[in-house]
Amino acid sequence: MDDLIEDGKNNKWVMCKFCESKILRPSTASYEERELFLPFMQKKKDLAGTEHKGETLKRHWLVADMFAFENVGFSMTVDSIKYLACADCERGPIGWHDINDKTKFYIAVERVEHRQITQ
Amino acid sequence: MAKTYDFLFKLLLIGDSGVGKTCVLFRFSEDAFNSTFISTIGIDFKIRTIELDGKKIKLQIWDTAGQERFRTITTAYYRGAMGIMLVYDITNDKSFENIKNWIRNIEEHASSDVEKMVLGNKCDMEDRRLVSKERGTQLATEYGIKFMETSAKASINVEEAFFTLARDIKLKMDKKLEQSSPQASTAIHVTQQPKQSRGFFRCTIL
Ligand SMILES: Nc1nc2c(ncn2[C@@H]2O[C@H](COP(=O)(O)OP(=O)(O)OP(=O)(O)O)[C@@H](O)[C@H]2O)c(=O)[nH]1
Ligand SMILES: [Mg+2]
Ligand SMILES: [Zn+2]
Repeated sequence: MDDLIEDGKNNKWVMCKFCESKILRPSTASYEERELFLPFMQKKKDLAGTEHKGETLKRHWLVADMFAFENVGFSMTVDSIKYLACADCERGPIGWHDINDKTKFYIAVERVEHRQITQ
Repeated sequence: MAKTYDFLFKLLLIGDSGVGKTCVLFRFSEDAFNSTFISTIGIDFKIRTIELDGKKIKLQIWDTAGQERFRTITTAYYRGAMGIMLVYDITNDKSFENIKNWIRNIEEHASSDVEKMVLGNKCDMEDRRLVSKERGTQLATEYGIKFMETSAKASINVEEAFFTLARDIKLKMDKKLEQSSPQASTAIHVTQQPKQSRGFFRCTIL
């Protein structure tokens, strides 16, 4: 984790794990720990065949302005939550936003790729 | 916090059900996972960043719900919209005929200076074409708006269409700025505040 943070911010590009769509520029988001429930990106069953709907994730990138994102999709609202998805391949949820707090947009660190791009 | 962009444009996709609005908004993927959570609840809007003439532009693009018809889309929906993509399906004559109704609806409910563009989608289905390219061009000329045939499936002209619409909005804004302050026009920096409510421009002289 330490190698991803510099001065409390992301030091690399945040990208989609599947299609390399660019989500956040370096140093545009701050690192924040908060327990947030995110549905799985694909349906999961354990050996007993029980279906699990999601998991609680703790490590996130936080931005205060939705236009800080380079490319991202917002889902329809479910119980005041909008889930974030890749703007290109639609895979998600990669993030979480409560419409009652317009200054917090989270991207789950585990669900994205971090990459150094020289340009 | 410093803004990381120069312009913010809110765009809407409008047109009959089934013409391909959702597919135009997202890269068409036949192998999309239909069972995933996101595809089940659907996408409301997306944010895209493009660069035009060295300026960084954020596009906020809204899809319309499938069942919505021009009768039910009213002022609230159009609020703050700066550009509208009117989409029809080249294999569906009715969807083309309805473009006129959509335009009338926009004239009634949207801001009078909203930039419009017509898209004839599904141009990969030449064998099932019912609306000729000429009819599309003619309609657009009649209303003085731009026209392109697109295919979300074959990725034809989709990106170009959004760039064209964004460029036209930017040109219109540049012109407006020039008129309002001819001397300082080159030193003006425009930002639209990311407010969910009514959109407005704030000009800051650097
Ligand atoms: N061949 C072809 N099929 C397309 C294209 N774009 C969309 N489709 C198909 O057309 C159908 C409708 O597409 P949608 O994007 O769901 O249409 P929509 O305009 O969003 O419809 P509503 O949400 O009901 O308003 C789907 O089966 C798509 O696969 C295209 O460019 N070419
Ligand atoms: Mg749709
Ligand atoms: Zn992706």
